[in-house]
Amino acid sequence: MTSAATWEPLTGMDPVMTIAQDLFTTMIDGEPGHLSPWLGDTPVLEDPRYAWVDVDGPVVTRVMLMAGRATGENLTRALLAMDADEPVSDADFADAVGEIANVVGGNVKSLVTNPGALSLPVVGRDEPDNSSAMRIMATYFGWKGAPLGVSLWALT
Amino acid sequence: MKALVIDDSRVMRKIVGGILVDAGFEVVEAADGQEALDQMTLNDDITLCCIDWNMPVMSGFEFVVEVRKHVQWRDVTLMMITTEGEQGQIVRALAAGAHEYVIKPFTPEVILDKLQFLGLVEMKETV
Repeated sequence: MTSAATWEPLTGMDPVMTIAQDLFTTMIDGEPGHLSPWLGDTPVLEDPRYAWVDVDGPVVTRVMLMAGRATGENLTRALLAMDADEPVSDADFADAVGEIANVVGGNVKSLVTNPGALSLPVVGRDEPDNSSAMRIMATYFGWKGAPLGVSLWALT
Repeated sequence: MKALVIDDSRVMRKIVGGILVDAGFEVVEAADGQEALDQMTLNDDITLCCIDWNMPVMSGFEFVVEVRKHVQWRDVTLMMITTEGEQGQIVRALAAGAHEYVIKPFTPEVILDKLQFLGLVEMKETV
């Protein structure tokens, strides 16, 4: 018999915040303190991009990142140790932002009960169709003053 | 020493490869398990493979299983570097023949500590 997936450990912001801060501290900023909860109204992302991975299972769990293109380019530069004014190719952008989604998704997966396989990351200009999904949690972080969204969905 | 970094993400290959180069390795890369097997055949002096789990074509786990079928690669050290952090996944990888397991995100120090433990780089001097 297959047990249903449960998301109780993930319904608050703290576990996802911890995962994101670990990632940013170790691999993006090289030091703590640059990622924090977003304070204030829900931000509007300029030229938004979406990156997500799905955790397979009895119910598919989707982990989605949202960021403006400029923020995504800065994340790419940070991961690839590029200069601040160096142009970011679409391929590098998709690779870097997709890998961030992959790391967050993989760590979220370890908190989900009865998870299945982790999908490869998808990065796009358009938000995936979550219209029939149940939102488990959604929050925004501030990274060096720019908003960065994270949301978890149960796909039905 | 030569290391093979296997990850479908060019970003991760660059990060892991940079750590290994700084540690004194010559580095070759592969974007999936099948490409990695091809590199193993071309480079018979590879001593270390750093392997992502989730990749297209052939996964890192399938690569480990395949490598362990070949006697000529029995001395190659296999280190998983992956987001797959569940206990069951770690046990599966180690049982299949991986020597070490690193969960992303990681710092360079974590990788270097593992390499020191495996005897692939010299121990750091302690005061």
